[in-house]
Amino acid sequence: MELDRAIRIAAAGMDVQTSRLRVVAENLANRDTTSETAGGDPFRRKTVTFANRFNRALGANIVGVARVGTSKGDFPTRHDPTHPAANADGYVKTPNVNSTIEVMDMREAQRSYSANLSVLEVSRGMLTRTIEALR
Amino acid sequence: MDPTKTGPIALAEQRLRWTEARQRVLAQNIANADTPNYRPSDMQPFAKVLSGKLTERPMVATNANHLQGTRQQDGRTLKERLSATRDPSGNAVSLEREALRVADTDSAHATALSVRRRYISMFMTALGRNQA
Repeated sequence: MELDRAIRIAAAGMDVQTSRLRVVAENLANRDTTSETAGGDPFRRKTVTFANRFNRALGANIVGVARVGTSKGDFPTRHDPTHPAANADGYVKTPNVNSTIEVMDMREAQRSYSANLSVLEVSRGMLTRTIEALR
Repeated sequence: MDPTKTGPIALAEQRLRWTEARQRVLAQNIANADTPNYRPSDMQPFAKVLSGKLTERPMVATNANHLQGTRQQDGRTLKERLSATRDPSGNAVSLEREALRVADTDSAHATALSVRRRYISMFMTALGRNQA
């Protein structure tokens, strides 16, 4: 049934936005995670991509998480010779997480989540009205 | 005579089916608001569906090994032309435009449903029952 599918598609949309938010949370939480060994690499920013795939059970395309990858960006360095992760020259590699970008990502995820939620509510309203027509 | 097969009731039911299908297509667009390279689609306008000018060519399995076509439902949908509002990721969904369409579809559904109820109650009155 079409409305039922619309509801499932919207729910899948909310699901992927939640995954995205989880990745954002992970990135922000690891904003200052440096390496444990001297000169090692710190936390690398994670990225998430979505893809629209056919779902056999539903008979429609639903959105899903395609891949959780890592950002290729360079690590900023900071001069701190006393830091346990400092290399021979006294530089510490810090994670390539940019808080501003993460917050923007979070906002966008929130906006898309609300949009999907509205679709779900409207579809549910249409479904309820249709059922009421039986009375 | 079956009143649900002809006239306003049949028309309203066709419209209801169209709005339900459109709702699914719009849900698809909104769910993919952040999918790279996704192009939104929409239903063919209802007037065009009514005029019967649409040629639907469902996939035909001519061999036992052919998989069942999955595009039967999408025969009436239409990929949107690429608009200027595209993300750097190649996504062309505008949430505002989609929200407007969802609202349109919702009210069209309500209208069609009440038209149908009115006509049914008219028949009920003719049959001597006061309420539908």
